Amino acid sequence: MSLMDLHWSQPYLLLLLPFALLPWFNHSQEKTIAWSAFVPKDPWSTTVGLSLKILSSIVLISLILGLAGPYEPEKKVERLGEGAEIVLLLDRSRSMDDAFAVKTQAALVSVGKKDSKRRVAKSYLTEFVKKRPDDRFGFVLFSSQAIKLLSLTYSKEAILATINANAIGKGLKDTNMPDALIKAAEMFEDQPYRGSRIVLLVSDGGQILTEEEEKKIASLYKRMKISINWIYMSSMVGVTLDASDSDSYLWEDLPERKLHDFFNSTGIPYQAFEARSLKTFAEAIDEINQQQYQTLIVEQTLPRVSKHQPFYIIAFLAMLALTFAQVYSAWGVRKAHE
Amino acid sequence: MSLSHQSRMILSALTMIIVLLLLLAALLLPKIERNIKVMDILFVVDITQSMNVADATIDEQVVTRIEWAKHYTRETLAALPCGNHAGLAVFSESRSLVLMNPVEVCDNYHDISQMLSKVDGTMAWAQSSEVSKAVFTAIKAVDLIKPEPSIVFLTDGHESPPIHDTLFPKFRGDLGKVTGVFVGVGGEDLLPIPKRDEKGNSIGFWGVNEVLHRDVYLSGRADLDQRPRTEHLSSQKQSHLETLADMVGFDYVTSPERAKTLIKALANTAKPRQQLVNYDLSPWLSAAALFLLILVYFPLQVLRWK
Repeated sequence: MSLMDLHWSQPYLLLLLPFALLPWFNHSQEKTIAWSAFVPKDPWSTTVGLSLKILSSIVLISLILGLAGPYEPEKKVERLGEGAEIVLLLDRSRSMDDAFAVKTQAALVSVGKKDSKRRVAKSYLTEFVKKRPDDRFGFVLFSSQAIKLLSLTYSKEAILATINANAIGKGLKDTNMPDALIKAAEMFEDQPYRGSRIVLLVSDGGQILTEEEEKKIASLYKRMKISINWIYMSSMVGVTLDASDSDSYLWEDLPERKLHDFFNSTGIPYQAFEARSLKTFAEAIDEINQQQYQTLIVEQTLPRVSKHQPFYIIAFLAMLALTFAQVYSAWGVRKAHE
Repeated sequence: MSLSHQSRMILSALTMIIVLLLLLAALLLPKIERNIKVMDILFVVDITQSMNVADATIDEQVVTRIEWAKHYTRETLAALPCGNHAGLAVFSESRSLVLMNPVEVCDNYHDISQMLSKVDGTMAWAQSSEVSKAVFTAIKAVDLIKPEPSIVFLTDGHESPPIHDTLFPKFRGDLGKVTGVFVGVGGEDLLPIPKRDEKGNSIGFWGVNEVLHRDVYLSGRADLDQRPRTEHLSSQKQSHLETLADMVGFDYVTSPERAKTLIKALANTAKPRQQLVNYDLSPWLSAAALFLLILVYFPLQVLRWK
């Protein structure tokens, strides 16, 4: 790394550099000499005098350069890691305010507070994000429309702050699933393919999509090689995404089942996790965590590195020689006066 | 100053020894821990339709209020020293929706400003604009965030539907518990409000008969509210914002030009938090060394000749 590649945090201090010339103007002619031609020419002392001046300039220059705050700017490097690029698609509709995993129809009416689905989702997603050092996360907020809130980022602080913000206050109106799914896929648009791409949908309901929407979503996800993981948070214990014999006939046409069938039929890599209790939610998160470790190109920002130390070391070494010389001459002058 | 050659030599030698010691200390002293004061701030941006009125100026160019609010927020984010934290929220209908809790401004500048660029009127979930209630919900929301941030509320103060002075919604929080600053946006003249559809396309202006002109609670008593029918027009409602600021104990700055104005107002009201940072003493030590050394080499005869 050469001097030219350095950046300066206080470049205006470089204006002090002319001070480095001071030693060359300082003729300490305090001694009374009758005629300077009387002083014999001594090449040895000329050399010593010259090198002392050079040393002094070196000290001044390196001190000023060190003070101007030289640093290597932050760099982006790519390395291979393990993980995935994940877009979180978190339902912010009002229904997510309801209590999670209640046993009876009657309990559904009471709006959950600490145990609301949104809060439960928050605490588990937070754990999930913290477990995944190399992943890049994005966030799509969706209710009556979807907003690409947080573009894919490596900053854990940013994604956690967004997840936490999502748990504050009440939910918004309703759910617009097709818009959300499209916007989530669009987050990967214009991005180089770095490794496995996942849309992690966390919601408590589905929506019946039109044929046109289905086509669009299927082609978008296929083209961009995105897989879907759906954590389905049913409010009531018993509702399953797959039909079974013990079903209540009320559940047959549930929108979430239709959505589940659609995802299964598209050929997009898809996996549903039905979270029926805190325990199954945790298991779902763990399973996703374990599955999604594939080679991933990770872009890493190396922080800026301060480079003042070498300058201070040079200044110190030169100063050591100078001080020694000065102390020696002062001692010599004193001797001469005695 | 007149010194003999001998004492000058000794003085120089002593100074140089001090310089040497200072340099040694600059090289070897570890970083010390020091507390600095940092603020946590939540920016709440008004995204209601009156914010689409173009009567704000950035660099002598007329822009919409929302563009100005976003520009000013971004400027402030950039001007905040590292270590401070900032988050984002939007306000529409009668509530403030927190989008991102406060994060450190330098490390996450890119992410916050990206998110800020996505903020616009299309995010609105309803068309009313109940500023005072939104302020109250912002205060409530902030209560749930740890550490509790101060609020910067960027708005034109336009209430729609309008509220009558005597029927003002009550603030039920503790006065002064949550601190904040209102940043007033918009000009003083009443201007028509552009109407947008859900996709954000412009579809003309709000007409005089399309908005409420009276407080809904006074609808049967027109005699009690004799204001002119101008609620389809909008300006920065300065007196309303002043009342609101008094009520919740916030500061109010109107159309500030520089980010400094807001940061100063925040520094006056916000309760700063102490944060431990590693502080490097070496610049101070080496600056002292440099100063002494310049004194040693300064040609004193130059001073005497003058």
